[in-house]
Amino acid sequence: MLWATNTPYPSWLNPGDNTWQLVAATLVGLMSLPGIAVLYGGLVRKKWIVNTMLMVFSGFSLTLVVWMLWGYNMAFGPLAHFGPTGSFWSGFIGHFTPLSTAGSEQGQAVSGANSVIPFHFSTATLAYFQFVFAAITPLLFLGGLVGRLKFKAWLLIVPLWITLIYTVNAALLWGGGFFAQKGAVDYSGGYVIHLSAGVAAFVGAAIVGPRRWQDRENAFPSNLMMVAIGAGILWLGWNGFNGGDPFYAGADAASAVLNTNVATAAALLTWLFWDMFASRQKKPTFLGAINGMICGLVAITPSAGWVNGVGALLVGLIASSVVWFAWTYVSRLRPFSKVDDALGVVYTHGFAGLTGGLLVGLLADPKMVEYGVTGAHFKGPGSFSVGGWFFTHSFHQLWEQFLAAAWIICYTGIGTAVIFYVVKKLVGLREDDLTLREGDIAIHEEEAFPEPTFGEPVASPSHLHPDNV
Amino acid sequence: MKLVTAVIKPFKLDEVKEAVKAAGISGMTVTQSRGFGRTGSHIEIYRGKEYEFDFVDKVRCEIVCDDDQVDGLIDSIVQAARTDTVGDGMAWVSDIEHVVRIRTNDRGGNAL
Repeated sequence: MLWATNTPYPSWLNPGDNTWQLVAATLVGLMSLPGIAVLYGGLVRKKWIVNTMLMVFSGFSLTLVVWMLWGYNMAFGPLAHFGPTGSFWSGFIGHFTPLSTAGSEQGQAVSGANSVIPFHFSTATLAYFQFVFAAITPLLFLGGLVGRLKFKAWLLIVPLWITLIYTVNAALLWGGGFFAQKGAVDYSGGYVIHLSAGVAAFVGAAIVGPRRWQDRENAFPSNLMMVAIGAGILWLGWNGFNGGDPFYAGADAASAVLNTNVATAAALLTWLFWDMFASRQKKPTFLGAINGMICGLVAITPSAGWVNGVGALLVGLIASSVVWFAWTYVSRLRPFSKVDDALGVVYTHGFAGLTGGLLVGLLADPKMVEYGVTGAHFKGPGSFSVGGWFFTHSFHQLWEQFLAAAWIICYTGIGTAVIFYVVKKLVGLREDDLTLREGDIAIHEEEAFPEPTFGEPVASPSHLHPDNV
Repeated sequence: MKLVTAVIKPFKLDEVKEAVKAAGISGMTVTQSRGFGRTGSHIEIYRGKEYEFDFVDKVRCEIVCDDDQVDGLIDSIVQAARTDTVGDGMAWVSDIEHVVRIRTNDRGGNAL
């Protein structure tokens, strides 16, 4: 067989790994388009559907352009070493360079995060996989800002935030930077993506200011079936989100997928339970169940392939409970009661991401081996596992997790505030009140459900009319 | 010439339609509508926030008929639309000055 002996791949490329990585990346991309677009479109008022969906699609596009031009290399390229080796500034950020040559796309992927076992796919695969994670992060914090953020402001916020916030956090935790060297771990982005998005949504919403009080009072979701479609795509798309992060289509990828689904099911049911027995109305609600589902997905993200099945179940149960009580009670306390985080991103992503990140330090099972060369339980060269307090009786990992969380909250919080104030100076952050009353039609001259009965073409006489052809 | 207007529970529409046909009536116009009466309001919950709905979904049926058909028609509607619970709706009868069938330009009783 000529095909078998004469493969069109370089020797370092494994088609199985490459295929899974590209499929996983596409699954994560689908979480944004159309996942987040229809989830948020279904949750906002009818008059904001088009605006919300366009911000999702344009944000995704902006991040990819930034990613190719400098974002990827800042986050995952070789570190720039601004200080002595081992110091914070040495492991702070990569170089501001584009990913544009044939060699840099088709060569073997290298990343500071894993220097022991080389990747079995090309840089283009890794860059695209990491891009879809970067892209979904601003789309998540958009949920806190919908219903009043100026469209032009959004077009500036996304590239600035990706460049100044996302790349730094990614380099520090994933790109082999300072916190990675210290031992803090984040399997797929509980901190870099979700905690960070939750903080950015909250700080951003505080600076942009609340929606019109009438819109807050009357915050009817536009379409619960669209929410179902978006939420379903998120859940199953998460198989790529967490299943793709071992970077090998191996046993740990499978564990991550199974654990992700177990935690999510537990979290959905937990929220349902609290809704039915502890809420004021005692009713099981669909939108509540979806909140619980998202809490589970977010909370298992930092530990997906490092906890065992029972650990995953506990992660879902604990995180969903923490967020349910935060959503119900903490939301009444300052500063939460004073900030209009429109879709509650600080709860379902911020609190859930933080809870999940800290739970790594308690529940990670050292026998769950990532990069086990000949299979699970094999601790060969390059194998990697994390030990939580439950197994090691040491709080070391929890402490590292705590420090990394403190960094993410402070850096993202302050950095987001600076970016929003700069954008406010440049183009303003809010649409004016008359525009906010009308929504989509005033901003885009489009509406989600056009009513042809009452519309007439403006160009008249029409060039399509038989008399004018 | 009379106009019979009946506001009924939406899930009773099919039965009312069959009853109206059985009463020998040749046409009826329906509109989805909302109203309040003695039913009171209901609550809907979205993301933990409660909304009170005073107006309940109804279907409004309009039937034009001859004077001597009215009593039979009302009986049919009442029988078909009734569930013996609060919110079964109402029907009322009003006089009509003139009726025209648009296709034929027939007037009065011939228009029906």
